[in-house]
Amino acid sequence: MYLQNLSNLRKIMKISTTKKNDVLKKIRQLFNHGDRPWNGLIIIMSVIVLVLMLAIGYMLWQQSALSRVKFGWGFLVPTNNPTWDPYNDIFQAWPFIYGTLMTSFVALLLALPISLGIAIFLAELCPAWLRTPLNWLIELLAAIPSVIYGLWGIFIFLPKVVAPIGDALFTAFAAVPVIGPFFAGPIPQSGASRLAASLILAIMIIPTIAAVSRDVFQAIPDSQREAALALGSTEWETIWQVLLPYGLSGILGAIILGLGRALGETMAVTMVIGNSINGSISILKPGYTMASIIANEFAEATSELHTSSLVEIGLILFIITLLLNMLARFLVWSVARKTPSEARA
Amino acid sequence: MTDYNELLRNGVVKRRLLRKSTNVFMLGLTGALTLLALVPLFWIIGYVVYRGGSNINIALFTQMPRPMGVAGGGVLHAIEGSIIVTILATTFAVVPGVLAAFYASRNPNTPLGVALRFSTDVLSGVPSIIVGLFGYALIVKPEKHYSALAGGVALAVIMLPTIIRTTEEMLKLVPSNLREGSLALGAPEWKTSVSVLLPAALNGVITGVLLSVARAAGETAPLLFTTLGNDRFDVGAIVSSGITNHQSIFAIIGRIFNSPIDSLPLTLWKYAQQPYPERVNQAWAVAFVLLVLVLATNIIARVWIELRKRKLRG
Amino acid sequence: MRKSLYVTMFALLVAALVLTACAQTATPTATVAPATEVPVATTVPTVAPTATLAPGSVQVNAGGATFPLPLYQQWTYAYQYVDPSVVINYQGTGSGAGKSGILDGTLDFAGSDSILSADQYTQGKDLQMYPMVASAVVPVYNLVPAKAVPTGTTLPALVLDGQTLVDIYNAKVNTWNDPEIAKLNPGWDGYLPTSKITVVHRSDGSGTTEIFTNALTAFSADWTAGHGQSVTWPVDKAGSGIGGAKNQGVAAAVVNTPNSIGYVELAYANSNGMSKVSLVNKAGKTVVANGASIASAMTDFATAFDAHLNAVIVNGAGDGSWPITGYTYIILHTTSMTDCAKASKIVEYLNWALTDPTAAKAAATLGYSVLPTSIRDTVLAKLAEVTCNGQPVK
Repeated sequence: MYLQNLSNLRKIMKISTTKKNDVLKKIRQLFNHGDRPWNGLIIIMSVIVLVLMLAIGYMLWQQSALSRVKFGWGFLVPTNNPTWDPYNDIFQAWPFIYGTLMTSFVALLLALPISLGIAIFLAELCPAWLRTPLNWLIELLAAIPSVIYGLWGIFIFLPKVVAPIGDALFTAFAAVPVIGPFFAGPIPQSGASRLAASLILAIMIIPTIAAVSRDVFQAIPDSQREAALALGSTEWETIWQVLLPYGLSGILGAIILGLGRALGETMAVTMVIGNSINGSISILKPGYTMASIIANEFAEATSELHTSSLVEIGLILFIITLLLNMLARFLVWSVARKTPSEARA
Repeated sequence: MTDYNELLRNGVVKRRLLRKSTNVFMLGLTGALTLLALVPLFWIIGYVVYRGGSNINIALFTQMPRPMGVAGGGVLHAIEGSIIVTILATTFAVVPGVLAAFYASRNPNTPLGVALRFSTDVLSGVPSIIVGLFGYALIVKPEKHYSALAGGVALAVIMLPTIIRTTEEMLKLVPSNLREGSLALGAPEWKTSVSVLLPAALNGVITGVLLSVARAAGETAPLLFTTLGNDRFDVGAIVSSGITNHQSIFAIIGRIFNSPIDSLPLTLWKYAQQPYPERVNQAWAVAFVLLVLVLATNIIARVWIELRKRKLRG
Repeated sequence: MRKSLYVTMFALLVAALVLTACAQTATPTATVAPATEVPVATTVPTVAPTATLAPGSVQVNAGGATFPLPLYQQWTYAYQYVDPSVVINYQGTGSGAGKSGILDGTLDFAGSDSILSADQYTQGKDLQMYPMVASAVVPVYNLVPAKAVPTGTTLPALVLDGQTLVDIYNAKVNTWNDPEIAKLNPGWDGYLPTSKITVVHRSDGSGTTEIFTNALTAFSADWTAGHGQSVTWPVDKAGSGIGGAKNQGVAAAVVNTPNSIGYVELAYANSNGMSKVSLVNKAGKTVVANGASIASAMTDFATAFDAHLNAVIVNGAGDGSWPITGYTYIILHTTSMTDCAKASKIVEYLNWALTDPTAAKAAATLGYSVLPTSIRDTVLAKLAEVTCNGQPVK
């Protein structure tokens, strides 16, 4: 009976509610179809980001056509007789490739133990009240603009720290047989040298590596630590023998991130590296990196070939960044494949 | 219970001592290394404050630059320029960045998702000087003039990876039951994203934006090739002349965005290279201002996220 | 164990703070010595303009050489009072950037110390260079005397001649007490250090380098590294070279490196109080770089302008001529400008810069030499030939 009345009621009301329902239905359909434009929108934005990366690569490729055609692979060949001769239109990129690789490698070597130490301290040993402020302070290091690092370097860091270190290295190692050439020649009085660039780069990449490594350590399940401690290992042994191997892939990712930053750093390096093209492999001599030659010479490039060669150096840098990131992706993928069944238990 | 002497003879005690002392030493070392890493931070800040603080005066913030030999002068043009370029860069970077992050967080394993994350990583590693070259080739050369717009685009490219990364992390942190509840109530996917997920992740997104703004504000290399620099840039003058001239608001804004512009890091770079001690002093003052701005933005961003974390927890 | 850990770290923290404090109190040694005050150009207004941009004002964007930058900044500042309807923005991006900017069309006019190449003239189609002022590139040195100088006496300025300068930059003369240098400097007898010469050069491309290498090429056939904005420096290969970015970088490198030599523009040498080399010029006379010797060099080459108004004025034959002198030019399109309001403003400004006494005073005070009247008239006549859309400008 009740249901009968209800359906009668509905039939009576149907006439006046149909239109409203229709309208409501149409609005609802519009909202539901809003999914399509939304999905389209976010896909377009993602494609824009992808296209941006490709566009940068394309621009570099295209603008360097002149020198790529002229010099071919010889542009990259390591040679002890480096020539970068804008006057005679001979260009060869090895001195800059060497400078970039050496300064980044040494910076990484110096930054790695310090960053790991910081990460271990922050993740494992730090009392809770100290953790947040210390985290902030380390991350503030990353926030300082590059130009200010350069200025501080020139005026204080180089004469006061780098020059004495350089002198000490020179007296200690210059005469040693195999590694001697790497420490040849006294460091310039001003301190401008590859060593200076390496040290400043190390300071700049410490926060990157430390922050990511700290996150890696914090993500390791406590069960690992408890198991190791239960077996009687000291805290340091836990960290060194259990946690580090467990988090190795994450730390490798952090290293790659830091290396990427070091490779691309321009302003600070340009101001402290001495800007000299020479055949010396010594860390104590002034040198050049790929990013700093572009910064120094692009605005003043004398010919099309000169500009094109500089852009080709940019292309090499871009390709190195690409390769590093692919390596990082591969590492992450290979680790992800292992868990959960093959993860260290 | 073994005899202690027997243990001693077996060298167990010695080894135990060795392990214990290694433990204390290494742990102390990590603490020392942390402090070592903080030394440059305090040193740089201290030195910039020392050299720049003494040169700060009110004229620095309120006056346009004057040439050498004329008393006074400031960097108002650079402050205005930095603000304008940063606003432009944020506008260009935030919308694509946040939207792309939505895609990345929902579809991490599709080809586009993987390609997107790869591009983000590569973009974050591109040297800033190449981004400057890109901006020059893309906008300055075809348009045949340097502009704030080109500078904004170059800085946006630098800001984009950070924004995408932080937004994606924040979206992942939103509890899944929030999303599921919204869908269960009949809201379409897009409405869920916009009205539920985004507000929930908003604070993290804002933090990410602030952090990338801080980074972009300190970049010099991209601006070298895209904005030229402009000692005569005065927003006040452009606006008042536009009003006197009955130009529309769009024309005035267009004029501001299309002119070459200066910025704090660029001014710092230029002044530090000039031969006159007064200019070098001004450069240090600018360095002080820049450092304070960048560090303050960073600290504000982190305080924000810390407060939100506490609120969510409590 | 934890407690001892924290105690150690606290101690280290205190040590770090003490170290930082110590570093602060030491005066920075790396600053270039602050020098004589820059003379205030009293004819340039010292009060900021209060007028806002006049309606219909024109914005002119220019860039280029950093060498005349202090002068152009004074000029454009003073010009605001002369003609408030135009805003001229000149940026010191470098001669090369100026040249490529005018070729690209991204700049309205460019400043350059370096002369356009034949290819660039062809590419630009209607480019013309107008000399504005001339100045000197001067070798600067930082010598630590081999033995203490008795109080009351000062060592004279170092004297070099063209051949010796070439030999130094060729790394043929390696030490300061080389007989070639000693022969020219009897006043330094016994004081010349025995150490190796550190040779500083520009690391970035520059018109200053072009003027300097033009001079080296003119001094001696031994200089084979060529001339231009960038060259490969023989001293780099020999390991005794340092590159400094821009004039200031070279100045700082010389000041911070004992027993070094470098080259900078006169204004930078003066404002940094550096020790300047006196050169023996082509006529055999020892000259100092100043307004008079630059003017003499200009008159030596008064008729040497080519159709493009380019002239290399190094190694002049006059008695009082400074051998390393160069013009700084403004580059302009002569027929293809389409914005005639802007074109006329630019030509008016350049006319003002060349003829107005205020502009000349500013140049003189800052250490630049204005063109002698005959040369100036030639330039003005060429400037009057600029056309816009077929009509002569102004």
